[in-house]
Amino acid sequence: MYNWDFAPILANSDVLGMGLLNTLKLTGTALTFGVPLGLCLALLRLSRWRLLSMPAGLLVEFFRTTPPLVQLFWFFFALPILVQVEMTPFVAAAITFSIQSAAFFAEVFRAGIVSIERGQSEAALALGMSDQQAMRRVILPQAVKRMIPAFMERSIELMKTTTLVATVSYADLLFQANELAQKTFRPLEVFTVTALIYFTVIYAASLIVHRVERRLAISGETTVH
Amino acid sequence: MWAYPEALLAGAAGTLRIFVICLVVGLILGLLVGLGRYSKLRLAYIPASIFVEFFRNTPVLVQILWFYFAMPMLMPFEISPLMAASLGISLNSAAFSGEIFRAGIQSLESGQWEGARALGMSQTQAMRRVILPQAIKRMLPALTNRAIEIFKMSTLASAVAYVELLQQGKLIASIHYNPIEAYTCIALLFFIFLYPLVQSTYFLERKLRQSD
Repeated sequence: MYNWDFAPILANSDVLGMGLLNTLKLTGTALTFGVPLGLCLALLRLSRWRLLSMPAGLLVEFFRTTPPLVQLFWFFFALPILVQVEMTPFVAAAITFSIQSAAFFAEVFRAGIVSIERGQSEAALALGMSDQQAMRRVILPQAVKRMIPAFMERSIELMKTTTLVATVSYADLLFQANELAQKTFRPLEVFTVTALIYFTVIYAASLIVHRVERRLAISGETTVH
Repeated sequence: MWAYPEALLAGAAGTLRIFVICLVVGLILGLLVGLGRYSKLRLAYIPASIFVEFFRNTPVLVQILWFYFAMPMLMPFEISPLMAASLGISLNSAAFSGEIFRAGIQSLESGQWEGARALGMSQTQAMRRVILPQAIKRMLPALTNRAIEIFKMSTLASAVAYVELLQQGKLIASIHYNPIEAYTCIALLFFIFLYPLVQSTYFLERKLRQSD
């Protein structure tokens, strides 16, 4: 029978705490850059000019289709040589996940914008607004409300994906867990506790998403996915 | 990059092997989990729900590393990289596809059940002959999406040094000092293989919307 011993983990809880903080830091950074970039990509993709919509569409499809770990390795191992700049694991990871989540957010934004009935933009134009004004004042505010659940789900996915940075030795929660497991010779306890930490954070977040979704459904709001 | 086609071929074979294993195991297990989640029996419903919630709400890479580093402490035998990675990815996909199956079954009108029952079919017969065939048609786009996700997830097996495309790309890059070419090639290979699949999923979705 295996003797479980959690004492070494409790004694080193700051190691895992540090990792969790770094995971949140990376997720936050990727969201900060990914959301505005995603909006830009969505607007470019919806543009009438193919010179704008084609490259944006290609970028979105490429980052949605290729495996995130391949992207991370490319930005970590290939990009620094290409641009001749040293890159810390954090910077490489932040770039990868910002662009990658931007590609997914772009689709969420696009679905939200497309879901608004034609009459809305026609009415805005009839009131004398320009295309840009109609988008900013009439379409986007309504679209954003419909996107909230999809947006939150995407952010949770992003947090799960950030575990990949452990493979390029950024000290996120998973990387710290691996270090601690080797130091204490207690992989079973360390990885089990780590899985439970991730579960607690992510499950709590997904419960909030369900609640928001229900509330939007009650108020008769349609949502996009 | 192309000087050693064996390296890339071995990688492609490894990627395909783990993809097929995880797709088959994940879908079969997913169907069982989905039926469990749909069941009125609490003995089936509760374990299936815990399974789904746990595997959907933890990162796949954590699951793979758990099976690789932690589980051997409890087992009398060694765990190979392939086994650890397939366990992580299959169970994760089982949880996600379980929810697809459940939603698909629930989406059918109760008249279908009643009709099958009126024809004298038992519960299992009705499920197998009437409900599932129709539900699977509705679930097809979601399931092909799942297959694409599994293919992308297969790269995570490189974290436990299983020989697949990305792992071989890493090897080639470190031998020839050509990370730009190596990783660009690997990314393009995945894109070329997956892009038609993604497009056909969109096509299926559109077609299904029209026929409904």
